[in-house]
Amino acid sequence: MPRPESPRVEAGKSSAGTEQLEDSKSIQHLEPGDEIEKAAQRPGLAAAVQVRGLTWRPYGRSRPVLENLELTIAHGERILLAGPSGSGKSTLLRAIAGLLLTADSGELSGTVTIAGVPPQDRAGAVGLVLQDPGAGVVASTLGRDVAFGLENVSVPRVRMSDRVSAALAEVGLTMPETSSPATLSGGESQRLALAGALVMEPSVLLLDEPTAMLDPETAATVREVVDRVARRRHLTVVVVEHRLEGWLDQVDRLVVLDAHGGVVADGPAGPVLQEQGEALAAQGIWVPGVPDPELLVIDLPPSGGAVGLVPDGETVVSAQSVTVQHRSRRLGESSRVTVAVRDESLAVAAAETVALVGPSGAGKSSLLTASGGLVAPTSGQVTVADRLAPPDRECTSPDRECTCPDRECTCPDRECTCPDRECSSPDRECSSPDRECTCPDRQCTCAQPDRWRSKALARVVAWVPQRAATTIVARTVRDEVLTTPRAIGLDPAASASRADVLLATLGLAHLADVDPRNISGGEQRRLAVAAAIAHGPALVLADEPTVGQDRLTWSAVMGVLATAEREGSGVLVTTHDAGVIDRARRVVRLEPPASPSPPGGEGGSAHRHARETTHARETTHAQETTHAQETTHEQEEAQRHTLISRVGPLGLLLAALSVLVLPALLENWRQGLAVLAAEVLLGLVGLIAPGRGRAPTGRIAGVLRRLAPALLAVVGVGWSAWLLGGRDVEVAAGAALRVTCLVVPSAFVVGYLDPERLGDHLAQRLHLPARVVVAATAALQRVQSFDVLWAELLTTRRVRGIRADHGPVAKLRELGAVTVGLLVGALGQAAVLALAMDARGFAGAHRRTWAGDAPWRLADSLAVLAGLAVIAVAVAARAVWSG
Amino acid sequence: MKDITASAPLGRWRTIDLLTCAFLGVAFGVAYWGWGLIYEAPSTFVKAAFPPLAALFAWPWLVAGIVGMLVIRRPGAAVFTELLAAIVSALIGTQWGLTTLVSGFVQGLGVELGFAAFGYAAFRWGPLLVGGFLGGAFEAVYEWYSYWQDWAWGYKLAYLLLFGACVAVFGSLLALGLTRLLAKAGALNPFPPGQEVRERQAV
Repeated sequence: MPRPESPRVEAGKSSAGTEQLEDSKSIQHLEPGDEIEKAAQRPGLAAAVQVRGLTWRPYGRSRPVLENLELTIAHGERILLAGPSGSGKSTLLRAIAGLLLTADSGELSGTVTIAGVPPQDRAGAVGLVLQDPGAGVVASTLGRDVAFGLENVSVPRVRMSDRVSAALAEVGLTMPETSSPATLSGGESQRLALAGALVMEPSVLLLDEPTAMLDPETAATVREVVDRVARRRHLTVVVVEHRLEGWLDQVDRLVVLDAHGGVVADGPAGPVLQEQGEALAAQGIWVPGVPDPELLVIDLPPSGGAVGLVPDGETVVSAQSVTVQHRSRRLGESSRVTVAVRDESLAVAAAETVALVGPSGAGKSSLLTASGGLVAPTSGQVTVADRLAPPDRECTSPDRECTCPDRECTCPDRECTCPDRECSSPDRECSSPDRECTCPDRQCTCAQPDRWRSKALARVVAWVPQRAATTIVARTVRDEVLTTPRAIGLDPAASASRADVLLATLGLAHLADVDPRNISGGEQRRLAVAAAIAHGPALVLADEPTVGQDRLTWSAVMGVLATAEREGSGVLVTTHDAGVIDRARRVVRLEPPASPSPPGGEGGSAHRHARETTHARETTHAQETTHAQETTHEQEEAQRHTLISRVGPLGLLLAALSVLVLPALLENWRQGLAVLAAEVLLGLVGLIAPGRGRAPTGRIAGVLRRLAPALLAVVGVGWSAWLLGGRDVEVAAGAALRVTCLVVPSAFVVGYLDPERLGDHLAQRLHLPARVVVAATAALQRVQSFDVLWAELLTTRRVRGIRADHGPVAKLRELGAVTVGLLVGALGQAAVLALAMDARGFAGAHRRTWAGDAPWRLADSLAVLAGLAVIAVAVAARAVWSG
Repeated sequence: MKDITASAPLGRWRTIDLLTCAFLGVAFGVAYWGWGLIYEAPSTFVKAAFPPLAALFAWPWLVAGIVGMLVIRRPGAAVFTELLAAIVSALIGTQWGLTTLVSGFVQGLGVELGFAAFGYAAFRWGPLLVGGFLGGAFEAVYEWYSYWQDWAWGYKLAYLLLFGACVAVFGSLLALGLTRLLAKAGALNPFPPGQEVRERQAV
């Protein structure tokens, strides 16, 4: 095979503005597009926001969320929008962005105009940053992600890269544009979202609780960036935030909504707070200077807990030198193992609250779940107090062979034999550590909670997850709270009265019979707290339980956790919330696991792309990969590229699908064998990696791994052909080889198909509908998040005591429930992504440009020729061995 | 009560329509990959007795397209969802490699035709039975060509009829059930099935 034209470094994907990377210092000096400057010089033409008589009632609600709302915002004005939970702040932001009907349906009246025209009239006029970092990511690289809005308004590709680089520089993201958004920390993700909005040159910037999920330092960085950008561009800014401090000194005006979606206070922040601070605090708004609310005192009836508690002060659980690794996988890439927690130790005693703090990415959530046995540590040990440990039949390991090393043998008449000594006396006289216990009737307890069966775990441990919405298991709010008490067989009457008090305390009593999936996010979080405490567990794990709560619900959530502590539970809580930290008995600070690559804080170095979202920071093991970012930045010596990796996605697809004509050509096993030989030969040629550099590893292994499932199909087809084809071995062999010929080319090709590049080619070369292709590739970027969600759904069921440990029917039912949960989660992601995409002009992007090019190269032609060669071999074989 | 159709014009897909189809497709693609691994065992077992019975375990492959259509109710929803599910399972790695794309396309097309025949205005048993049968039949014809060339015509026909019937009945039931569960969970609020649920609650 002739050598294709120049080997491309960006074999895995192409990106806007790669050429800008050659001198990364120059990014700092790039100026944003001329349009901004012009806009700045002509402030009179730029935007004011005008909201007139806005009423919005989503279907299914009896009362409007916003009612007859009036709001005028002058050009360049910066507004902080506050209000109690459920007052419609986020809804108002969506209305200003013109996105109310994007992900919901309902009755809408009144008008919203931006500089006199509806927000939909100019794509990108209103920029929107959402609460959840990373929720709006649409592409696989930073550059592509920022370019998304430009693509939607058909900016030519040549003009994109400067604007993309300028936007990234403006928000202080200095890592390569080919880095994956998945490697960003929470604060960096928010700045990426900001860059994606800024590149569209908005006149209005809307921020929906942009720092709610960030630690204080990171939040301050994000606020600084917003402040700098807003001043520089004279932007009109509306920020929604529960906690006012931090924002107050950079806004001109404070607007407060009440619980019914009306404006109750509006004016300069200082005077408004002076006059109405107390009243606003009483409504639940976090007003700076007003002391944290008192915790709600709760008189909780006892649960009649099944295992009971540990005496005050004794250790409930201890984690020793725990390391937790996560394995993640994305399409077109091999799996990555990342270290979330490295060698951390922690102990929680009865009747104490321990706060687990540290920057995002420090592994707090991972250590929390490992401490409760929700996930097994990769190394190290988690031990629960003896008296809480269940007998070994509750271990997931087989009954009599309690493999748990920490088991406690309580066998009165055991006899031990020591190999070292000659000793067969009772074990108290046998001091050798090597003794072997040969007790016929021993009873073991297993102290390692990750080995416990679902019910055993649920009796001792409870978990308040960060994402409460995905972990709902029941159909009414009351059933949700009673799930675990019922599963572990607590007294129904006692559980019910305890549940009622919990619901009343947390402001959920009126929702007791409502489907918990239809209540608000803050309510779901409170429900998760109630459900965790209902059965009086010895250990409560709470993952950021106060995020998004207003003062009133905060005092209720904290009151419930304090009550659990008083009852004697050990409470372990991860948090950024100073009020929670103040109230903890002890504080454990976690730092991100040490990494061999150069470390960096927010703002970072170019080498930090190996880090993953909030969980993981370090790539310990990367298998063969076709992506530029892995190869060019991670290793000193560049990795060589296989011939196949130089072929574009369309060429690969055509080559692999050209075999579809084979079934019409192949008549017998001889022909099949000849064609198979040709396919394997050509495939192997494609795996050759000429040139200089480190040889890629695992090429053949990858092909074999992909062929393994094909073996199933081949055997199945061969067997049925034998059975129905006259029980002739030759017929069976012919059929089996025919199927083999169909699937072998795919095994060589699939690992090199990158969904995003495939999308570029399908849209630009085959002219498939642009928006359909973009939606498909955006969804394909998220395959990995489905793994995470699936694991989380199963973990929830296990810790709630309803995991199906055995029985095919129960397992099948669980499979169904988890699948529905997965679909609900997927659709929730789709709805948020739709908002983020429409905010960047996607709704009208029927014709758009593409940041990635779709060249047809020599390598593509050669790949197609290879496919045709296989067909030629089939034709020739047919001539030789016909009949 | 008449079925609620998608907002007019039917051909103008909203962003959330596209993304919901796409996410359903990806989720089903992951599920298909898993199903592909466990389905060979029972499938081979019944094939040992009478190969056309393999249809008894093949109908779940078409559920993605049916669900996509029941939720979005716009032209192309079945093909888009089913094809994307096929792409995802092929990229993760199924026994059929990239030829899964062909299966996905013909399956989606069959389902699509069933709903098109009713003008995308009905989303109950009529189009479900027709579309389900066509989807199964199309896939069976593709499989005649690629896998079952050596079967006698009687067996091929038996396979086609059984496949079509299984999809029309079991596939439709599963898709209806899933759609209803999703609607009750509030996940379909922006779509016609979600609105139907709210309408029913309103009475």
